[in-house]
Amino acid sequence: MVMYDQKVSSHPLGRVILRMEAGGALLPDGSDNLMEVVGVLKSYGVVLDAYWRNLLYIADRQFLVFFPFFKYFNGKVSLPKLLDHWAHQRINYEFSEYCMKAMLWHGAAKLDAYLDSPAFAERAGRAIRAKIKFNPAAGLLHRLFPDFLPEWARQSCYYSVLGQFWRVMSPMFLVLSDRYDRGEIRSIPDVVAHIKDGLVAAANLPLTYAVDIRGERYELIPTEADLHFLMDAAVPYVEAVFFRSFPFMGTVSYNAQAGQISENQADFNYGALYADPLPIGGSGIPPTLLMQDMKQHLPEYLREYYLGSLRGEEDMRVQICVSFQKSMFCVTTAAILGLAPYPIDTDRPDQQRANRAYLENWMDRLMHSRLPAFN
Amino acid sequence: MLSLLVWLPILGAAVVGFWPAGAPAVWPRRIALSVASVGLALSAVLAFLYNPADGGLQFREFVPWMTSLGLSYELGIDGLSLPLLLLNAFLVWIAIFSSDENVQRPRLYYGLLLLLCGGVVGAFATQNALLFFLFYELELIPLYLLIAIWGGPRRNYAATKFLLYTAISGIMILAAFFGLAGLAGIANYSYETLAVHNLPLATQFLLLGAVLVAFGIKIPLVPFHTWLPDAHVEASTPVSLLLAGVLLKLGTYGLLRFGLGFFPEAWSAAAPWLASWAVVSVLYGCMTAIAQKDMKKMVAYSSIGHMGYILLAAAAATPLSLLGAVAQMVSHGLISGLLFLLVGVVYKKTGTRDIDVLCGLLAPERGLPFIGSLMILAVMASAGIPSMVGFVAEFIIFRASYAVFPVQTLLCILGTGLTAVYLLILINRAFFGRLPAQFANLPQVRWSERLPGLAIALLVVFLGLQPQWLVRWSEATTAALVAGRPALAGALPAQAERIDTVAVRRAHTP
Amino acid sequence: MTESLLLTSWWVPFYGLAGAVLTLPWATVGVRSGGPRPAAYFNMLMTVLALVHGLTLLPAVWGRLPLQLEYTWLETQGMRLALELEVSPVTIGAVVVIAFLSLCAQIYALGYMEKDWALARFFALLGFFEGAICGLAMSNNLLLSYALLEMLTLSTYLLVGFWYAQPLVVTAARDAFLTKRVGDLLLLMGVVVLANLAPSLNFQDLAIWAETANLSPLSATLLGLALIAGPIGKCAQIPLHFWLDEAMEGPNPASIMRNSLVVACGAYVLIKMQPVLALSPWVLGALLVVGTATAIGASCVALAQIDIKRALSHSTSAYLGLVFVAVGLEQNEVALLLLLTHAVAKALLFMSVGAVILITSTQDVTEMGGLWSRLPATTTAFVVGGAASVSLLPLGTFWASIYASERLWPWAPWAIGVLLLVNGLTALNLTRVYCRVFLGPRQAKTRRAPEIAWPMSVPMLSLSIINILSPVILHELGLLTSVEGPVPTWVFGGSLVASSLAGCLVGWWITHEKLPTAWVHASFAQTWRVAHDFLAYDLYIERFYRQTIVVWVAGTSSLMAKFDRHLVDGVVNMIGVATIAGGEGLKRSAPGQAQAYLLTILLGVIVVCAYQLTTMLR
Repeated sequence: MVMYDQKVSSHPLGRVILRMEAGGALLPDGSDNLMEVVGVLKSYGVVLDAYWRNLLYIADRQFLVFFPFFKYFNGKVSLPKLLDHWAHQRINYEFSEYCMKAMLWHGAAKLDAYLDSPAFAERAGRAIRAKIKFNPAAGLLHRLFPDFLPEWARQSCYYSVLGQFWRVMSPMFLVLSDRYDRGEIRSIPDVVAHIKDGLVAAANLPLTYAVDIRGERYELIPTEADLHFLMDAAVPYVEAVFFRSFPFMGTVSYNAQAGQISENQADFNYGALYADPLPIGGSGIPPTLLMQDMKQHLPEYLREYYLGSLRGEEDMRVQICVSFQKSMFCVTTAAILGLAPYPIDTDRPDQQRANRAYLENWMDRLMHSRLPAFN
Repeated sequence: MLSLLVWLPILGAAVVGFWPAGAPAVWPRRIALSVASVGLALSAVLAFLYNPADGGLQFREFVPWMTSLGLSYELGIDGLSLPLLLLNAFLVWIAIFSSDENVQRPRLYYGLLLLLCGGVVGAFATQNALLFFLFYELELIPLYLLIAIWGGPRRNYAATKFLLYTAISGIMILAAFFGLAGLAGIANYSYETLAVHNLPLATQFLLLGAVLVAFGIKIPLVPFHTWLPDAHVEASTPVSLLLAGVLLKLGTYGLLRFGLGFFPEAWSAAAPWLASWAVVSVLYGCMTAIAQKDMKKMVAYSSIGHMGYILLAAAAATPLSLLGAVAQMVSHGLISGLLFLLVGVVYKKTGTRDIDVLCGLLAPERGLPFIGSLMILAVMASAGIPSMVGFVAEFIIFRASYAVFPVQTLLCILGTGLTAVYLLILINRAFFGRLPAQFANLPQVRWSERLPGLAIALLVVFLGLQPQWLVRWSEATTAALVAGRPALAGALPAQAERIDTVAVRRAHTP
Repeated sequence: MTESLLLTSWWVPFYGLAGAVLTLPWATVGVRSGGPRPAAYFNMLMTVLALVHGLTLLPAVWGRLPLQLEYTWLETQGMRLALELEVSPVTIGAVVVIAFLSLCAQIYALGYMEKDWALARFFALLGFFEGAICGLAMSNNLLLSYALLEMLTLSTYLLVGFWYAQPLVVTAARDAFLTKRVGDLLLLMGVVVLANLAPSLNFQDLAIWAETANLSPLSATLLGLALIAGPIGKCAQIPLHFWLDEAMEGPNPASIMRNSLVVACGAYVLIKMQPVLALSPWVLGALLVVGTATAIGASCVALAQIDIKRALSHSTSAYLGLVFVAVGLEQNEVALLLLLTHAVAKALLFMSVGAVILITSTQDVTEMGGLWSRLPATTTAFVVGGAASVSLLPLGTFWASIYASERLWPWAPWAIGVLLLVNGLTALNLTRVYCRVFLGPRQAKTRRAPEIAWPMSVPMLSLSIINILSPVILHELGLLTSVEGPVPTWVFGGSLVASSLAGCLVGWWITHEKLPTAWVHASFAQTWRVAHDFLAYDLYIERFYRQTIVVWVAGTSSLMAKFDRHLVDGVVNMIGVATIAGGEGLKRSAPGQAQAYLLTILLGVIVVCAYQLTTMLR
């Protein structure tokens, strides 16, 4: 029988486990880490704000639009905006769609089950019929390829779900930054606690989705679908975006004969917690878009911190990526703690043992992530 | 005018060298840079005033000096020297500009660079064989010191080797000149008088042999080349740039001026052997380069290969091939200068030149993307991709030499293929791939480090697109160089038809 | 008016180049404010200009004699190198096709590469690519064509190497460059030889020269073989074919261009050089052998591929093999028509394949299935593209094949057999891929598959329409003429359709019936595996080169490096040590060496003086 010693862990990341059990986070505490994490989350909050507004706009207003030329304009098309758009002086909304596709492709279990159910088929069918009522060409297309529009409707649902998820996350990060500015956030565990509280508070928000077609409202995800913020958006999001994601074409070969990509999606580890920050800015590395967007909204103190580094402005996006990964480990910490079988500060040995096993399980998964680099 | 061009750098060297030691360290650099700029401007004026239609000497200056020795201060340039003077002025400016701003002992360093420049200009501009020898030797001392003082860890070894080799080269040159003057009974060492003689062929061969060995060391040709990789590896970047870009050209210049110019009959007779020697040099240089792991060594061996083309062209000795030789001198000067410059930046930032260690330097934020892009351009230029100057020069050489030496020419073309192999290995290993963690914190590349490379690269592309600018200076001269000679090329068309079948077959069988 | 319009035709290749050059700042250093998209838009604008210019020129050149434009590039010492362009219906028509496909590929790339921050570099390369291909289409001079082929080699290297941080891309880019370079090198030898033999490198002059050229059979053969080596490399023909397979590591929009246009460039140059090649029957024979071997070999290799891009890229080699056969039989019109119909159909197929890859995030056909009902544009594109590349429905390739059959029959009836075989095998392959990807049950990676966005579907649909209308277009252009022969046309048509149908049926059968594979496995397990691997690994040609040429070059070079280091250098060092054996002290420090050196000079001067004195005394 193995003796359980609270102070020792034989796991390669044992140090991290002990720190978490002592109330710490995956990321070691420290003023630089704190400043980077809060600063980058501030700009992330700003970017997410733009992302979720656009995702919800696309889901609600661009439902089954075949040529959404102005889908990134949120309904406000004007000449100056168009010129900015062409000059590429804009938020790279493509990245939010990339995250949405990651969620869609990897799937959120309960949402997927609903989307494959006859209930959804019936609701979607009604919306589609309404949408293509006066468009015989689309009607013909629908008859020839019967799954085309329903599949698009499912995609719209994911647009909406991710938008709703980020609608909660964005203010959470902005408030965090405000609290940091007021001196209320003093350590990494404070950051984790803030996020965890935010997640817990929003955990049971229902996820719903409805579209207006010619003044009539069509519910695609009703409240009866019983989908909730934490389990049906946050957790699948972490799984799909933080852990799995897609292999970057710029670093991994899609060649089937080379077999570099696992046939099992569960084995994918190309997500935000795993990606190497060095190739950021290069070809075939989609997160560059996010780093670029965040670069435009950095708080002044963080920008100066970056400018003071060896390469200054030149490699800012790589530095942002490193800080971003640190901050995402804080969000992951919050998720891990929130999902732990027992409170992490429990006194009961059996609960501690269960928590330890739970944490070790997570550390196994994080062994090849960027976590060891930060510890 | 020419005197100004020769003495200005030497004067500048004196000024820099005796600049008060207490003054800020930036002054030697500024002075050197201004002198180089004036030199560049003067050379440009010279080119502007030069009449390309006249194949003879222009801007002649003559001051009797030690006439009893046959040594006079005679200057003058023709279409053979002018492009090299321009190249020299440009590359010296680049070399000074790209020198490390915090170089140790700046006064000595910049002084020596200017002295080197003066020596080279003198050697290209003089019209007296003894004066050439003096300038030729004058240029050695600063180069030796530049390698021996500011070189890498094995600098003493490399510098000594360089010195010994080049001293032998100098002695052979001197011996050849003395022999020629003595045997032909000429008391004046002016080129014009030396070129007119009627020595028996056997004697000519002997003297030509001395000239070939002397300049074969300088060019360098296999097997006299082993000083070059060592010298390049140990020399600092600006010195490597000058060494490859300008100083090797002294060798090919001497070969054309003295070998072909003084001993035309022997040259014609030896031409097939020279062409074969060129093939050996080209293939040897290329094959050896493939196995190199040190980027600088690789580029150094590539120089050996590329200089071999010039020997091929010189051996063919038609007006067109000689024009190709001049073009190749300029082209190689620019391209190898660019390569050494870029390798220098890589070395400065990463601390290594080993292509097995380097990786992923194209990474846009933490790597050296701009340097990498220029490197790709330089490599492609060196491999003879059209639209860059390397292709123009090589095509002229191949086109012209094929008429005379088909087999050798086709074998030399193989060399361009091999060039692509090793340079591609260089790019693929060092610049493609993922940037490893050990190179994650490379220092920033400043614009002042990018500009020299960019300038050379633009010139490489410009001359590649507008080759008339490359050849217009030398057309008349190269025609004149072979005008009085037995028509080697003229005798061949009938023969060429016979040979080309063999040639093509040989080219296919390897 | 028309004249002055025609005189502007040399602008066409420069649009793409100008786009590439002007967007270099975005492509190399990146522009700090804003993203790379303006560079992409600018390149597209340039392509639109090229297309519009080409379309305006087309009516102007129609029915006129070809116009020659010429610019003296370098003239010196009796050598004149000119850049010559030909403005004729064929060249301008080719330019229009190129600009149109390039525009499609660029719009498509806007969707496919939307998340790629190096978009500017990609578009600059595409612009360069397009410019070089347009130049090649119009080139009327062998040297210019050679130069443009080399530039295409370079841009292929850079485009395949676009994702330079990916390990397989690195080797793919290297192999693409070196393989093509081998061909180009031999071509350069041929060009150098021709430059010495022929009065000029203008294609018409070459043709005239070839009529009266007095070459020995051997030299004509060797010359011709050198000249066809370039196209063999460029068109991915055996034995220089494996780069195309590896080049599929590159981004898909570039693959669209590569499989339709770039490979065609090599064949186009081949057609232009045909009069010179015809000097030797052996060269034409070599074209037939290479073409036939590639056509059949690559068709079989394609069958064993599980990677969706590679399954199609090998069939590109196969079709180019047919073009080689046509050129070998001196049927240039046949070759051109095959190139045209193949380019348009293959571009569409590759667009569809790219969409599938983007949607499913995999290239393995065994991981796909059940996509058809959800992807109208992608499925349509694949079906139309597939139908247009085999002779099933009366679309482009069907007519081109009939055209080919009628003209090849009198010369080489066996070529019809090759054509039928390739057609059948391609039909089999396409059906196999279609069944695996679009039919059958959904798998994990194809569980959710929403159709791609409009930047990709619009070019797919436009090209689908072009493909569907191809018979009409070909007819309107007067390209579908028939020749009377001993065999009635319907026989050719019937056998072509029959071979396609047979291929489709077999393809459907092997993907739906477990029986054949199981049965084959049971009976000839060993043979089956060997044969399958032989095809799947591309006839082991890469491995063969790796173990022969690469080993040889690497071995020789390292041997020579050792020889250089130890023997040449060693001997020199020994001599050096011996000569300054006494002067060890001199060698120790730098000043010491300077002294030694100054001593040498001094000695030299003394020798001078001594010698002069003796001569004077005498």
